[in-house]
Amino acid sequence: MNLELDIRVTRGAFRLEVASRLTSATTGIFGPSGAGKTTLLHALAGLVRPDNGRIVLDDTVLFDSSRDVSVPVHKRHVAVVFQDGRLLPHLTAAGNLRYAEGLALAAGLREPTLAFDRIVQLLDLGSLLGRRPHHLSGGETRRVALGRALLAQPRLLLLDEPLAGLDHARKEQLLPFLRQAQLATGIPMVMVSHDLGEILHLTDQVMLLRDGRVIGQGNLFDLVQQHEPLAVLRGAGLINVLRLRVREHREDWGITFLEPLDQTTAVAPPVLKASLHANLAPGAETWAMLRPEDVALALGPVERISMQNQLRGRIHKIVRTESRTLCLVDVGAELMVDVTHHTADDMALVEGKAIWCLFKAQALTLGTSGTSSSPAN
Amino acid sequence: MTPAEWEALWLSVKVALACVAVLAIPGLLLGWLLARKQFIGKHVLVALIHIPLVVPPVVTGYLLLLVFGSRGVIGQWLESSLGFSLAFTWKAAVLASAVVAMPLMVRSVAIAVELVDRRIEDSARTLGASPLRVLATVTLPLAAPGILSGLTLAFARSLGEFGATITFAGSIEGETRTLPLAIYNCIQSVGGDAPALRLVVVSVLVSAAAMVVSEILARRARRRLGGTG
Repeated sequence: MNLELDIRVTRGAFRLEVASRLTSATTGIFGPSGAGKTTLLHALAGLVRPDNGRIVLDDTVLFDSSRDVSVPVHKRHVAVVFQDGRLLPHLTAAGNLRYAEGLALAAGLREPTLAFDRIVQLLDLGSLLGRRPHHLSGGETRRVALGRALLAQPRLLLLDEPLAGLDHARKEQLLPFLRQAQLATGIPMVMVSHDLGEILHLTDQVMLLRDGRVIGQGNLFDLVQQHEPLAVLRGAGLINVLRLRVREHREDWGITFLEPLDQTTAVAPPVLKASLHANLAPGAETWAMLRPEDVALALGPVERISMQNQLRGRIHKIVRTESRTLCLVDVGAELMVDVTHHTADDMALVEGKAIWCLFKAQALTLGTSGTSSSPAN
Repeated sequence: MTPAEWEALWLSVKVALACVAVLAIPGLLLGWLLARKQFIGKHVLVALIHIPLVVPPVVTGYLLLLVFGSRGVIGQWLESSLGFSLAFTWKAAVLASAVVAMPLMVRSVAIAVELVDRRIEDSARTLGASPLRVLATVTLPLAAPGILSGLTLAFARSLGEFGATITFAGSIEGETRTLPLAIYNCIQSVGGDAPALRLVVVSVLVSAAAMVVSEILARRARRRLGGTG
């Protein structure tokens, strides 16, 4: 995907100014409430007309004020999964899905990977098909809305806070479906969220918005090395999201062993220990969240301590803010570790230094529902 | 009931159904237009549509007679070029009640369309639905209960139409003498009390039946849309 954006939008006293280029298959737009995230999505979809500027998706000019071009919403093939689902209330779930399918067929789009039965299977919608929207739960509504958007066969899928308002358990159930959709369909996605963890489940390519302007864009680990982006990210609860594969369970120890999926460097891949999640089959992909402040640093391995995870790594970046020091440690996966200035000075932490990262098995919050390592193709 | 009374009943129903049929499409379009579009002269259009609601029906009837009567601008043209005479036929009764019922229909549709969540329409647009398709597959189905009640109001208003009809269409037995006109005619004649009462009962029954049918349809439509009905 190549999405070029250079727009200005005024909504009352609020002003959004974005000039950027998105090339990653999935990009997360992150920012606090009122940062202009939804306005930006609406401008992409054509629901909001920018004051001026240009939006180009691959070879198609969607909007260009200087040439008076503004492709109408229904011709953009940019689908949106709205926060509240917005299903058609007079149709069943199946009716909603068929509605989008019919529009795609009418537009001559027949991508077999996005056929009705496949999407129903992918998102496990079979049992919901006969129900009307007001008989669907919040999570089910969003799954149907996601399926409907995919069946429209969009060139770009916009996700507007797709998990907002769901409780923790429901979010965990829905996230794997989003991931499946991303992997199995290959449709470029832009996801807006005020929850960094949600975004990092799908991508580490992040655009940071605050007060209507972009204050940083790129890989998360690059962003945390910059002053202003880091401040925003920390304010929102900076978190490590590790994509992992289950290796095995030791029920007698109460431990599940995992290994990272995306290994960054030549450092030997670590084996991570989490508290037992026997429901995850060995080989299954899952994720874990680890708070940067839950990781301790040591200059060597520590014996006779309850920290089950002791990973050897190397500090490749140190970022000092007013109050804390953030270390980026390469342990075979990239890990953000949050320590006090005092610790950093006391241990003489410098970039390049070999270091051990210690954390308890319970500090790894595992996603309870794994996805099969080969999505149903 | 005498054959003449049956005829009045049948004529009333025929005129009311024709009135609804004539009103349906323009009523929908005007209602949607008023609810969703801004255009120059909108206030004038609104005022024009609502005139029949606020002036005495006899005024509406007289204005219709002036325009569509055999000496009226349009009436004369119709007669000379098409050989078609409107005034004092059952079609005049249809036109009279349609004009009188129009504001009721348009208001109902406009309110129903205004209540349709535009964000639902937006979601259909992002899936690739053209504006016309959004109107047909989202807006109108979601506004169905209001549209239905508009049509019912028009039907009921037509059944009860008196002033504009008697002025523009007259009270010609078998042609324009609908139930209200027949009742009035009975009351005016000696010994007409019994037939008048019969027609009053029939009139009440027909109107009540129309209301019941519309309520059932509206409830079904609301239930389909997820309300409790």
